[in-house]
Formats: sequence, structure tokens, C-alpha cells
Amino acid sequence: MSSTEQHTQPRDEAKNNTLRNAESDKSTTHFGYKTIQKDDKISMVADVFHSVAKQYDVMNDLMSFGIHRLWKRFTIDASGVRPGNKVLDLAGGTGDLTAKFSRLVGRNGKVVLADINSSMLNVGRDKLRDKGLVQNIEYVQANAETLPFEENTFDVVTIAFGLRNVTDKDKALRSIFSVLKPGGRLLVLEFSKPEQELLSKAYDFYSFNILPKMGEIVAKDGESYQYLAESIRMHPDQQTLKTMMDNAGFEQTSFKNLTGGVVALHKGYKF
Amino acid sequence: MTQQQKSTRTAKLIEDLLLPQLSTAILEWLSNNAVSLNANKQVSFSSLHQKTLTIELAELPFPISLSVNVVENIPDMIVTAQHENSDCTITTSLKTLNKIRANESLTQLIKQNELDVHGDIKVAQHFAQIAQALDIDWQSELAKHIGDGPTYKLVNLGQQVSHSLRAKVKQFDADVSEFVVHEKRLIVTNSQLRYFNQQVEEVAQATGALAERVDKLIALNSYEKSS
Repeated sequence: MSSTEQHTQPRDEAKNNTLRNAESDKSTTHFGYKTIQKDDKISMVADVFHSVAKQYDVMNDLMSFGIHRLWKRFTIDASGVRPGNKVLDLAGGTGDLTAKFSRLVGRNGKVVLADINSSMLNVGRDKLRDKGLVQNIEYVQANAETLPFEENTFDVVTIAFGLRNVTDKDKALRSIFSVLKPGGRLLVLEFSKPEQELLSKAYDFYSFNILPKMGEIVAKDGESYQYLAESIRMHPDQQTLKTMMDNAGFEQTSFKNLTGGVVALHKGYKF
Repeated sequence: MTQQQKSTRTAKLIEDLLLPQLSTAILEWLSNNAVSLNANKQVSFSSLHQKTLTIELAELPFPISLSVNVVENIPDMIVTAQHENSDCTITTSLKTLNKIRANESLTQLIKQNELDVHGDIKVAQHFAQIAQALDIDWQSELAKHIGDGPTYKLVNLGQQVSHSLRAKVKQFDADVSEFVVHEKRLIVTNSQLRYFNQQVEEVAQATGALAERVDKLIALNSYEKSS
């Protein structure tokens, strides 16, 4: 047995146990590989993001070697956003997508940067204001499961690297469906399952051995980055997420694997 | 593997490596920097506010869309790799772009199917006018960073390299045409084509005359039989 297999087997077992526990008891959910009460997840995820908010952008660049910027550009290219559109950047964090959308929709359009975490929202607001982007951006602290917007409000909704942290993903997808205008589209950019076995093993090694250490050194918080690695493995794979979107009412759903499936962009329309 | 399968595979590889996004990110950075260095204050981007020009090059497997957003008289260039929402789409090749730079007539290029324009051509014209009107003193910008002496040497070197490259490309073109036309005889010359056409015409005329003669003989033969 190779050393990588020795490492991954206990992890797979932990993942499967967590999934079994969450399925058998509807009041529980997963937080990384831990099984926790559903009510506790929001505050536990919040603690993670309060802790990493200030170093979030630096860590993203370090962890992904800057590739996250290209994944986000790909999302923007796929969004078809035009001047005058209303866009919801859900779990928008430090506002990378919002910054670009704000330039694309222009003065007559609007971008709402929503995040459940106040620390992330504050970092995002400061960053965008420093860039001079003030005219068409609103900031809303909101839970993706119960979005505080009227039905049929947005032309485009994006959620980038946020859905895996949501406690009830199906509820969040239904809530997003409700606030989209007919003809509008949802884009979900999220870590996913690598297509190649070799890449998967290398990625596992990187996520569980190098990432937490990087977090320890740069953000002084290795645990949060251990959670990041675990939460990625607990997130539904490409096909499962597509089915979840179908079930929420989205049509013409599809996904595109990026960087060998390390990340996938899911797209769905409301008609 | 067929040629089509190969090009589909190449296009997928380019997409998987996110090269369209990398290229547009670099182009966006370059164009915004170029605009910020413009010394010609007469240049106005207001006519292009929220307009998008898309260029589809035969050599590139993805489109390049250039949008302008003017906020408080400051233009912001946005470059993406998609062609949704374009006001004007130009489909062409790098070779034709060089011809446009050499002031060859746009109408002529469209007639020769070297250039295809969809949408509002004024958008393309405005972009071209602005690109020509930009006044950027690259040398003094470079000198600010590396000093006058090195800039002078670098510019000189650049000019020499560019001159030598142009000469090499010209020589290569001449060698390739010599090889293809005279050595391998893969392509015929204009005079050979004219000679061939002339011969075909002569054969056609001779065949026509022969057919006419045969018709007359048949008619004569049938007349003799009936009488």
C-alpha cells in the first residue's frame, strides 16, 4: 500500500461516517469531517471566516497559486452580464466578482454583495471602496437559505466558493431560484472532484498536508484550513450538485470542470 | 486522428488551461495602462461608453471582447473571452488585421471575404479612431523606470531586432513560395494558370466546332435516309 493510500483511507472512512451520521439523523449535519447539530454549523462556519477574513485574499493567492483569479474570470465570462443588469454575488466575501460585475453593469445596473459573515463583508466593502467602486454596489448581510429579496429580482446570481459552507444547500438553491428573474441564470463556482485519479491523490496530499501548514504560517490558523480541505471533500460532486440544481427548479443545468475538476462551474437557468 | 479531432482537442486543452482568461487578463491590464498613459487629452471615450467590440480571429479558438465603461470621464477597459452582448463583431485573421493597419480598404477586404462585420460598424470605427489617436510616449515612460541611457539602448536594440525579424520573415515567405511553386510544384504560377485557361478555351472551341459538325452530319444522314 502506498503512503498516499494509507493517508486517504482513514480520511475516506471519516467522510463516509460523517455522511452516514448526517443522513440517519436529520437534525445533524457535517462540519468538515465532524458531525454536528445543524443549528451549530452557522456559528462554527462564522468563526472560521471571522478568523481568516483579513488574510483571505493573500491565502487564496497562495493556496491556488493565483489560479482562483482565472476561475473567477471564467465565471464572469460565463455570466453574460450586460450593462443595466442586477447581479447578486452571494457569499461574495471580499468582493472579487462584485468588483468586475460593478464595472460590467455600469451606472444603470446594480450589484448586491451578500455574505452571511460580517467580517468578510467588511473586508469586501473596504477593498471595493479603496478601488473607487461605490456607485452601484449594495452590501447585505444575508443567509443564502433565506434571502431577504423579493421574488424575480436578479438577472444573475453567483455563488463562488460559498455553497459548501451552507448548512442546507437544497434550501439555499430554492431561495436563489426564487430571487432570480425568469430568464436569469445561476452560476455556482465551487471546489469539486478531480477527474483523474493521479491528480486526485496529489490534490489530497496538498490539501491535507500543505494547506493547513500554510494557514498556520500565514493566517496563524491551521484549523480553519484543515476545515477548508475537509469541507471540500464533503461537498457534493459535479453530478450530484447538478441534480440538486435540477431539483430546485433550474433548467438547462450544466457544469464545466476547471483545472481537471479541482473546481467546477455549474450553470442553471430559471424560465 | 482527423484534423477536426485534433483541433477540437487543442481547443479543449486551451480552455482547460484557462488560456482565454489568462490572455484577456493580460490584455485588460495592458489596455488600461495604455489608456492611462495617453497624453492626447482630445481623445474621448464617451461615444464608446458601455459598448462592446468583439474580435474573432481565425488563429484564436476564443473571441476577445473589449468593453468600455466611462466613470467620471475616466475610461475603464474590460476584456473578456465571450461574445454575448457584443455591439459589433469582427471575424477576421491576423494577416487581415495587418492589411487594415497598412490602410487597405475595409470594403475591399469585406468583398474578398477576408473580413466579416456583424452589428454596428460605427463601434469598430470609433475603437479604431481612438486607438490611432492615443499618444503614448513609451520611451519616456520606460525611462522613468530604468533611466535614459538603458532606455535608449533598449529601444535601439528593439528597433534592430524588429528590423531583422521583418527581413527574416520576408525572406522566409520568399523561400517558402520558391519551394512550393518551383521546387515542389505544389502551386501553379499566374502565368501557368493563364496558359492552362487558354488551352482549355481552345479545346472547348475545338470540341464545340466538332459537335456542330457531327450534328450537321447526323442531320444530313437522316435526310438522305428519308429521301
